[in-house]
Order: sequence, then structure tokens, then C-alpha cells
Amino acid sequence: MKRVIPVFLLTVAGLIPVWRYHPSTGSTTTTAQAAEPSAPPSPASSAPVSPASSSSPSSTVASTKVVPGTAVDTVKGVFQVEVTFRGDRIASVRMLQAPHHPQTKWAIPELVTETLKAQSAHIDSVSGATVTSEGYTKSLQAAIDAKGH
Amino acid sequence: MRHVEHVMGFPVSLRIDDEGDFTGAADAVFAWLREADVRFSPFKPDSEVSRYGRGALADGELSADLTEVLGLCADLRGATGGAFDARLPGRGFDPCAVVKGWSVQRAAGLLTAAGARRFCLNAGGDVFVSGGPWRVGIRHPEQADQVCAVLAVTDAAVATSGGYERGEHILDGRTGRPATGLLSLTVVAPTLTEADATATAAFALGADGPAWAAARTGCEVFAIDTARQVLRTRGLPVAQGLP
Repeated sequence: MKRVIPVFLLTVAGLIPVWRYHPSTGSTTTTAQAAEPSAPPSPASSAPVSPASSSSPSSTVASTKVVPGTAVDTVKGVFQVEVTFRGDRIASVRMLQAPHHPQTKWAIPELVTETLKAQSAHIDSVSGATVTSEGYTKSLQAAIDAKGH
Repeated sequence: MRHVEHVMGFPVSLRIDDEGDFTGAADAVFAWLREADVRFSPFKPDSEVSRYGRGALADGELSADLTEVLGLCADLRGATGGAFDARLPGRGFDPCAVVKGWSVQRAAGLLTAAGARRFCLNAGGDVFVSGGPWRVGIRHPEQADQVCAVLAVTDAAVATSGGYERGEHILDGRTGRPATGLLSLTVVAPTLTEADATATAAFALGADGPAWAAARTGCEVFAIDTARQVLRTRGLPVAQGLP
């Protein structure tokens, strides 16, 4: 997870100049490969990046433009973002497509930290690392099985 | 009724609390586990798994069961970025981490099909319970006669991976070296197929394992790192009440 997000951000960062400066004929192949060296060039990567034309890069009018990004094929799957420009500044970036893959989940589950405790308690069964036959004789599970209750 | 038998290299304890005679169903459970051992053990040269591993089985000769196991291995390898790999360099094909949970889950299915509704099946530390709640302890990684948590589980599976019983036997497929970072990791999931595979793969991932396992659908996690700190999900079904 830690690795995927930086790679993805690099990909986005790498694509931004392409969107801005090569609106009709730009190819993202080089950019995508730079961001993800092991990604094979995809057919989608050579497609025109943006159907919109950026006629006035230094425009002072804060017009809003939403540009869908190229679908970038990486070893983790296909990513595609949508960038909203306000004037010539990026207002927001939104994910249009992300692989259904555990490592690309954005919500990192919250883990609670606690101190390790040792206790003896009434239990029906014990979960532990696979016990060997020798280990079993000394295990809690063996005691439970022998006691019958 | 209760029955304990050593199958697949570990003790399997079965307890059925339903009224009635489930002797036949219990026999079927242990017969299936023995069959699974014969067919899927990488330590038996004539098993399907060994023959597949050395390329002696053509694609058309794979059984439906082996095909299912191979699919589970491939899913897990992809989901862990290669940390779990049934085909490590220098080693034969070894799908044990997947076969154990999968075969025991199928055994539980035999009991359910026979009408059992309240039973607890513990296969070498991996537990599947039907009905409940059952109190399942998580073995303390350093004190064999103590538990470090007690869970209350109903119709669910609990599986633990750790290095304290058999040493550093779980390798990180990304490095080929023994997994480090955790003393043990326990997963609670709807099936033992999911719980066992997730626990083994997460242990192989080391320090990244707890968060990875917690992100798997339906999985609750209890992990102990080498600093003896517990990391667990909020949804872990910790038993309340009497110790």
C-alpha cells in the first residue's frame, strides 16, 4: 500500500505536464514508463490525452475545465484519473478507475495497539501456529481434548 | 462427541455438540482429510501436488480440486505482490498454506451437510466453528500454556500463523528469506479457506501484514509484532465477561 500510493502520485504528477502542454497529440507512454518502469506500454497510452484544447495557458480567467486522464496500465492494474483545472491551476484530482486490488485500497484500516497479555481462561478451543505431534502433547488444546470439556 | 486424530502432520480435534449420532459424519471428515493428505502433500512423491510440481501432469489431467487449489494460490500470490508464492525458487511446488484451510473447510462442509449445527473443528491450531458463540483462545506466542486473547466466535474460522512452533518456516516470497517482523498473526474470517490463507500470507508480509490482512474483506486481525505489541482490528470479536 505504501508503495502503490507514491507510484500512483508520481504517475499523476508525470501526466500533468502532458495534459497541459500536449493536449491533442501528446503521448503518455514515456511518462507512464518513467513512473512505473515495469509497466508495459499499453495501447491506451498512445491515445490523445485530452480532447480539450488549452488555448490560453496563461489565462487570467478562472474558467473550470474537467479533463479525463489516460487509462494508465501498470503492473497493479489500470489507473485513470480526472483532473479539474481552474484556470491553469489544478483544482482537484479524482480517481475514475483503480484496480480492484487489496494493495490499492485507499482506506487504510485502523489498527488498535495494545499490550501483550498472558492469561489462562475458560476456552473451548485454541488457535495457534500449526503444532507438531510433539508440541500437541504439551498444548492447551491437548488439555482441552483430554478433559473433555 | 469428541474425536482427535493426527492427520496431515498435525492433530485434528473434532467436537460435535448436536444430539444424535454423527459417527458416520465424523468418519467422513477424517477420511477426507486423509485423502487430502495423500493427494495434496508435497512431501509424498506420488501425490497429485508432487506430480504437478515436477511437470508430470498434463493440463487435461488436473483434477477439479487441484485446479481449485491452483486458483487459490494464484489469487493469493497476486494479492500479496509475490510475498506468498507456492513456487519459491529452489523449492518444489508447495501449496500447503492454501490446502490446509481449504481442506478443513471442506471437512466442515461435510458435517454441515450431515446435519451438524453446533461443532468445533480444530486442525493444528486452525479452528472452524459452527453455531456458537464458542470461546476460542489465541495461543500466547511465548507461553504455550497461556492465551493472549479470547474470542467469541459464531459460524466463523480462526487461523493463526507464527514461527514459535516450527521455527522460521514461512518465507517471504519477495526476498526468499524467512518472514520477519511478527511473532504471530491471527485472522478471523467467514471460512477457514480465507482465514488460513490470509494469516499465512500476512505473516509472510511481516510488518506490512496486519494492515494488509485487515484490508481483506471479512477479515478481522490480531497480530503480535517482535516488540511484543498487539495490533488488532476494532471489529475483532473479543469475548466479554468471565475470564
